[in-house]
Amino acid sequence: MVEMDTDKLIEALAADARPIRPLAPLSRRVTAWLAVALSAVAMVVGLMGLRPDLAGKLSEAMFALQQVAALGTAIAAAVAALAAGVPGERRWKLWLPSVPLAVWLGSLGHQCWQEWLRLGSHGMEFHPDFACVPGIAMVGLVPAVAMVVMLRRGAPFHPRTMMALGTLAAAALADFGLRLFHAADAALMVLVWQMGTVVLFTAVAGLAGPTVLAARGRM
Amino acid sequence: MPPEAADSEDARRARLMVAAQAGDRASYAELLRDITPMLRRVAGRRWPGVGADHIEDVVQDTLLTLHAVRHTYDPARPFTPWLMAILKHRTADGARRAMRRSAHEVVVPNFEETFADLPAKYENDAVDERDALHQAISGLPAGQRRAVQLLKLKEMSLKEAAAETGMSVSALKVAMHRALKSLRAALSRDG
Repeated sequence: MVEMDTDKLIEALAADARPIRPLAPLSRRVTAWLAVALSAVAMVVGLMGLRPDLAGKLSEAMFALQQVAALGTAIAAAVAALAAGVPGERRWKLWLPSVPLAVWLGSLGHQCWQEWLRLGSHGMEFHPDFACVPGIAMVGLVPAVAMVVMLRRGAPFHPRTMMALGTLAAAALADFGLRLFHAADAALMVLVWQMGTVVLFTAVAGLAGPTVLAARGRM
Repeated sequence: MPPEAADSEDARRARLMVAAQAGDRASYAELLRDITPMLRRVAGRRWPGVGADHIEDVVQDTLLTLHAVRHTYDPARPFTPWLMAILKHRTADGARRAMRRSAHEVVVPNFEETFADLPAKYENDAVDERDALHQAISGLPAGQRRAVQLLKLKEMSLKEAAAETGMSVSALKVAMHRALKSLRAALSRDG
C-alpha cells in the first residue's frame, strides 16, 4: 500500500518534469555576486568621495591588512553561503570565512592593544558613532539584496547559516567600502561600531533566515 | 559493489538527472524508480529500528525535496553524494518529527464504548471527525490547502482547478498528494 503511494508520487513528479535552469557552478556564482556587489560599493564610495588621506592610510600596514582581511572575509563568506545551498557540497567550505575573519578581528584587537599601550585608557577615543549602522547598511544594501536573490535559488537546508554567512559577506564588503570614505580609524571605534554593526546584521539575518529563504514551502 | 561498478552506476544516474533537468520525463521517472530502493535501504540503515511506514515517509520526502531542488545538481559532480545529502536531511527531519510526536503523545486506555445509546455516540464522533478534518486542512500550507479546497471540497476537475489557481495540473497533483499525506498523518495522530 505504502509502496503504491510512492509509485504514484514518482509518476506525479515525473509528469511535472519541465526543463529547468541548473544552478551555475559555485565559482561562477561567487564571481557574479562579486561583480554586482563591488560595482555597487564602488558607486556608493564614488558618490560619497574618497577620504582625503586614503593614499597615506593605504601605506599603513595595519590599515591595509584590515582592508584585505575585510575583503577576504566578504569573499570567503560569499563562497560559504552559496556553497551551503548546494546539497553535498564539502562542509569545510562553510568554515572558510573563519580565517580572514580571525585575521580581521585579530588585527583590530592588536591595534587596540597598541593604542592602549601608547595612550592609556584616557587617551583612547570612544564615543557613540551610530552613523556606522546606516553607513554599513547603505553600502551593503545592494550586495545583501543580490546575495539573498542568489541564496533563494539554493536548497535552504541550513537557512540560518546561509543567511548569516551571506549577510557577513555583504556587511564585510560594506565595511571595506565604508573605510574608503569614512575617516574613523581609532581601533576601539572600528571594533565596537563597525565590527559591532557587522556582527549585529549577521546575527539578525541568521535569525530571519528560515523566513527569508522559505521560498518553496517546507524544505 | 566494486568501485568501478559504483562509478558507472553513478555516471548512469548522473546522465538520467541531466536529462531530467532538461525536461525528459521518461529519464526522470527511470531515475526516481532506480534510486527508490537504495533510498529505502540507506534510510533504514540511518534510522534503524523504525517501522516501514516511517522509512517510506522519509523516502517520499526525499523524492519531493529532490524534485524541488533538482536545479541544484551540478552535472560536473557525482550524483550520489548530492542525493545522499538530501536523504540525510530528510532522515533527520523524520526522526525529529517522530520524536516531537512521541513527546506529545499520551497513551490512554481504549474504551470500546462511550455511550450505551449508539446513535448519540456516532453523532458525536462524526462532529469530532469533521472538526478534526477542518482543523487538519486549515493547518496545511497555503498551496496544499487550496488544492484540497478546490479538488475535494468544491469538487472541481484538475483542469478547472488549474485555471482557477494558475498552477499546472501536475503541480496540483503533487500538492494534493502531499496534502493527503499530511492529512493522513495529522488524523492518525489525532485519532
